[in-house]
Amino acid sequence: MSARPQLRVLPGFAEAEPLVSFCGHCAHRPGPAEVGNRVCSNCHLGLIVSAPASVAPTTKEAFLLVDGRMQVCAVSRRAEKLLGSAEVEAVGRPVAEILVPADAEVAGTQSLATTIVHAARGDGTVDNFVLRPVGEWGIRWFTRVGPCGDNAALIVLAPDG
Amino acid sequence: MELLRSLFARTSASSRTSPWTLDGSVLLPRAVRTLKTSEAASFLNVSPNTLRAWERRFGYPAPMRTEGKHRLYTHGEIAALRDALKEGLSISSAISRAREKLTADTPALVGALTNCELDRADGAMEAALALRSVERAVEDILLPSLREIAQRHGGESAPWSFAARWASDWLVRARRLAPAPVRPHTILVGDATRDELDPDALETAALTLFTIRGGSSVLTLPVSGLAGLGDVLRNYSPRAIVIAGSHASDDDVARWAYAVRTLTGPLPVAVFHRGERRGKTSTTLMLSDTPADAQSELMALTEERRVAPAVPPRTTFAEPAPLHRTATA
Repeated sequence: MSARPQLRVLPGFAEAEPLVSFCGHCAHRPGPAEVGNRVCSNCHLGLIVSAPASVAPTTKEAFLLVDGRMQVCAVSRRAEKLLGSAEVEAVGRPVAEILVPADAEVAGTQSLATTIVHAARGDGTVDNFVLRPVGEWGIRWFTRVGPCGDNAALIVLAPDG
Repeated sequence: MELLRSLFARTSASSRTSPWTLDGSVLLPRAVRTLKTSEAASFLNVSPNTLRAWERRFGYPAPMRTEGKHRLYTHGEIAALRDALKEGLSISSAISRAREKLTADTPALVGALTNCELDRADGAMEAALALRSVERAVEDILLPSLREIAQRHGGESAPWSFAARWASDWLVRARRLAPAPVRPHTILVGDATRDELDPDALETAALTLFTIRGGSSVLTLPVSGLAGLGDVLRNYSPRAIVIAGSHASDDDVARWAYAVRTLTGPLPVAVFHRGERRGKTSTTLMLSDTPADAQSELMALTEERRVAPAVPPRTTFAEPAPLHRTATA
């Protein structure tokens, strides 16, 4: 063995974080008996996906899944109520038609888009944004955006306050 | 092409060689592979409850029903969903992709009919039938293709005429292969369409086909013909009347319906593709615009009548007294 210092591959931050599985519709986390199920056995309406623990939603949080082309892939049951839009209507639409940045002081649309694209590539970390629904003022959500599976970004919405 | 020819061969073959297969009480082309709920669920690696939940929320997969009301899924529909689920992030997007895959036959049929290529048109329907029941092939492929041609070229154009005649012929061929009626009653259809180039005529032909395949007999008569009505109705005992189409005037339709009810007793009347403002009364059932839904509503109507029969029809048939035409300004 040479005594010279060598470059070594180290695990990234996102990789080190434990992954949590949850339903893409109701956020139910499968129990040990449900491991391996592709479809949620609680609501039957969502696929089981996984995300780092720091971004994974709880059953009380609304969330959306967005792919690398910035198109909505899934809308949770709570998000349907919060946004007033059924999943079947929202899927396939650009996320910019549904949510826009509401934080005037920091990063704008560009930063949100970059974060989503990076997250959808699986190499992003978890970032926080303040978003609002398109065409609505006076409503804002503190959101966290992070990777979900291999090819999607997860946007978790938490009501202001 | 070979499959379609065999599907529509006029000669009745033995059950062993018949191109059609009876699955439960649903008659399907032999090429259509069907799955029961448990088989479909196992194929997708989900529970039967999950399949039913998808059907309730998304309307997909949309199974047929056997006589015993059991669900029967087409293999093509389930296979398309399985492939889409492998890539998708949500059930909704997977179902959307599966639907797109299944409607891929529509452009093929539109292209064939626009170019007046009969063989290609038959081939497109043959491909559609390999994945779907006849009802779904008609509702998902044939009728949407015809609507697109009408929209693109207009209802008076040559491509529309060609396509409408081909579709009309296709529906007649499919009707010839329907099983013998299993229900002891007849649905009387009062044809209020203009001719076979009337877009409503195709919808009416589809409703007729679905009703026959549902096990009922159908007697279609033009609403313009009153002469000899008694002779025809003497041999049938219609359980319901359907007025289909919007071309004939309300006066003509009313006169014809009155004549029929005079001869047969007070039958329930339903209207199909007659426009919203026309024929809407408290005693008339407005059938859905889609032939499959309309057929289900019609079956429900006739079943209700079987459970609680209205006034029995007259046993003797007499020609109705000629009605005086209403003077119109």
